Amino acid sequence: MDVFGTFALILAFVCAVYAFGGGIAAIITRHPLLIKSTRQAGMATCCLIFLATFSLEYLFFSDNFSIAYVVSHSNRDLSTFYKLAALWSGQEGSLLFWSFLLSIYVFSVLITYRNKNGELMPYVGVVMAGVQIFFLTLNNFVASPFKALASPGADGVMNYVARADGNGLTPLLQYPEMVIHPPNLYSGYTGFTIPFAFALGALLARYPGEKWIHLTRKWTMIAWMFQSAGILLGAHWAYAVLGWGGYWGWDPVENASFLPWLTGTAFLHSVMMQEKRGMMKVWNVWLVFCTFLLCILGTFLTRSGIVSSVHAFAQSSIGSWFVGFLALIIIVCLGAYLKNRDYLKSENQLDSIVSRESSFLFNNLILLVSCIAILSGTLFPVFSEWITGNRISVGAPFFNKVNIPIGLLLLFLTGVGPLLAWRKTSTESMKRNFGGPLVIGVVAGLIALVFGFREIYSWVCLILCVFVASTVGLEFYRGAKVIRARSGASFMASAVDLTMRNTRRYGGYIVHMGMVFVFIGLAGASFNRDLQKDMQQGDTMQIGPYTLLLQGFDTRPEKNYTAQRMLVEVLRDKKPLMMLYPEKRRFATTTENGTMVAIYSTLKEDLYVVYAGTSPDTQLPVLHAYLNPLVKWLWLGGAVVVMGTLVALLPNRRAVLVFSGAQQPAAQPLAHGLTPSPSVTLREGHD
Amino acid sequence: MTKKARPVAAITMLAMFAVTLLLITPLGAQQLSDRAKQVGGKFMCMCNCSQVLTECNHVGCTTSAAMLKELDRSLARGDSEDAITQMFVQEFGTKVYAEPPKSGFSLVAWALPSIYLFVGTGLVVFVISRWRKRPAHQAAPAGGAPGISAEMLERARAQASRETQD
Repeated sequence: MDVFGTFALILAFVCAVYAFGGGIAAIITRHPLLIKSTRQAGMATCCLIFLATFSLEYLFFSDNFSIAYVVSHSNRDLSTFYKLAALWSGQEGSLLFWSFLLSIYVFSVLITYRNKNGELMPYVGVVMAGVQIFFLTLNNFVASPFKALASPGADGVMNYVARADGNGLTPLLQYPEMVIHPPNLYSGYTGFTIPFAFALGALLARYPGEKWIHLTRKWTMIAWMFQSAGILLGAHWAYAVLGWGGYWGWDPVENASFLPWLTGTAFLHSVMMQEKRGMMKVWNVWLVFCTFLLCILGTFLTRSGIVSSVHAFAQSSIGSWFVGFLALIIIVCLGAYLKNRDYLKSENQLDSIVSRESSFLFNNLILLVSCIAILSGTLFPVFSEWITGNRISVGAPFFNKVNIPIGLLLLFLTGVGPLLAWRKTSTESMKRNFGGPLVIGVVAGLIALVFGFREIYSWVCLILCVFVASTVGLEFYRGAKVIRARSGASFMASAVDLTMRNTRRYGGYIVHMGMVFVFIGLAGASFNRDLQKDMQQGDTMQIGPYTLLLQGFDTRPEKNYTAQRMLVEVLRDKKPLMMLYPEKRRFATTTENGTMVAIYSTLKEDLYVVYAGTSPDTQLPVLHAYLNPLVKWLWLGGAVVVMGTLVALLPNRRAVLVFSGAQQPAAQPLAHGLTPSPSVTLREGHD
Repeated sequence: MTKKARPVAAITMLAMFAVTLLLITPLGAQQLSDRAKQVGGKFMCMCNCSQVLTECNHVGCTTSAAMLKELDRSLARGDSEDAITQMFVQEFGTKVYAEPPKSGFSLVAWALPSIYLFVGTGLVVFVISRWRKRPAHQAAPAGGAPGISAEMLERARAQASRETQD
């Protein structure tokens, strides 16, 4: 099967080269058969990558320990769940997985637009094939996942060998989110290839109008949704596995995933300027280019070992390939832009500073400043080492100080932006839209002060969250009320109807509401508390309203590991509430231990309990308990963001004709004796 | 919103907020962080986990335990924060800082975000003022390329529209 996989990858590389070279020839000659042939080569590339990926999975499931990658990342006792995930747990396999996900996107695009956009698609196909060639080069010639184990025999000749069992999967990766977090994140990274291909293709082809924007909108949103979900799932993984009580540590690899999300978010907003007003064409093209570049840069940071991170792959020479690819993309993008920049001239004109256009400009500014600040902070240790010879770390305190004010500003714009009108917002409209939410926000702030809120950022954050939630709530309320008055349906049904009539707009509002939930979760971090204690059986620990009683220990043998658990009874107001079982896992295949925290999670707070090892002084087991307020809102917010994006991806429900009868005045016969048709009301959609 | 509905909606929102506030306001006294926690928050754990010293207790990390012990000993001796910083920098180098010190080359790290913000704001203000000055009739035609007539552009748009209908 390894030979089959290797061969499939080589063939895929050949097909991709043909799709690229043939595509360029097809663009020049405009020969229909050549265009069709290169498109089919693109599809064949994808199918071959699918086959290679399935081959590697087969090698994992059949415990083929003659393959180096399988030996390094699996063992016989590893559960089926994690054998599937072992594919992306190492450098070589994850690069193949990258190619696999990219192929899904490429195949979907080629199939969807096979008979459409005849002028544009050959260009898009060439760009996509170019990206595939790069990753297939890595898969075939730099980091092949199909390398067989070999050792020199007595005669000095290398012989193939097979091991009885593998080294197993790193304990940190043996957690359910390992199965869903990387696929989500990679789907985000790879998904941004599609808007990049369309943007570059449209620029090269001088494709008229804003059609490429319409074509790529849903692809961008899909990639953005996966990126958002991937980031939050990664945060949850860190929270539940690493056992430090937090979910975001501004680690370089975390930052790398956040950077394209920021520029992607900026693009999703500024693209509306181009769609509605034909503005910011250059900006949008460069935002797409930068988002893709940041995806590749993030991959480079993760895989090259240039920055140290607990999430990074082992240091390798693969980084230079990414640097070369980055340089090539920059040259191509710059060249295409300089050659065809007149194509991007737009009718930028602003009627008023108080307008939707201005709010998008500031939204983009803030997102970009945050992105560049995080990027420069992440790379600062590298630059400081180059320039001064000393590596200066930039950790979470720096990023928090820089990004919290920026985040709050962005939250403010989240509330303000959508309610500003295009072109110009009148004072009357400002009062109508913002008066109520502003008063509610300020009163909320005063109540917070009375309740003893003294942490300035959390206080401001709560005021803004209330303000934004009010603006979003009012928008739904107003729209649903109008529909309810006409249709007589319930308020909830009217709100659903409203959303389905303009899914993009109201889906966007749902996403904003999700972001409010995320910010509520983040605001809670200021009130985190923790307590660590050496515990004997029968000892208690008090944290907040909870009493933790250590009832004892037990050992639970599992197939792949042995779990040693603390049996902790949680009491609240002296009444038993529940049992928690934080555990340490000892794996048979590695000396590294795993941990599994126990969490009692409510909307108010998380009681987070870690079995933190044995105290070197007392030799007693150590229990580390955290009380983290509002964390659940973060995960809830992530789910709402995904839901909102899915709603925004749905097509609008078409306007329907409503025949109304009873309330209408009786029809008068017309002069010529004909009876008029029943009066017809057209339910018009929103803008 | 009707005049009657407005106060109801406002009161509902405020009530929801008050309930949320009641939910999240810490009950009882907040546990105060000790001095070790405060000083330790200024250093990175040197196990390559990229976490602040006082937050790194993930399984397998023996470095943070040793560093915290060293910190405890220094505090017990009555060492000043500066002396502790010097001690860690001598032992681990400048990469032990959790945030760049506000002196020398490290100042660049602190200055950059502000520079980005000021330059970016300046650019946005410049762009807005330029766009506001531009009269509507001087704006380039949609699609923009010079030498393309409105008719050609319309034809191209119609073609693009046909080709891209979902």
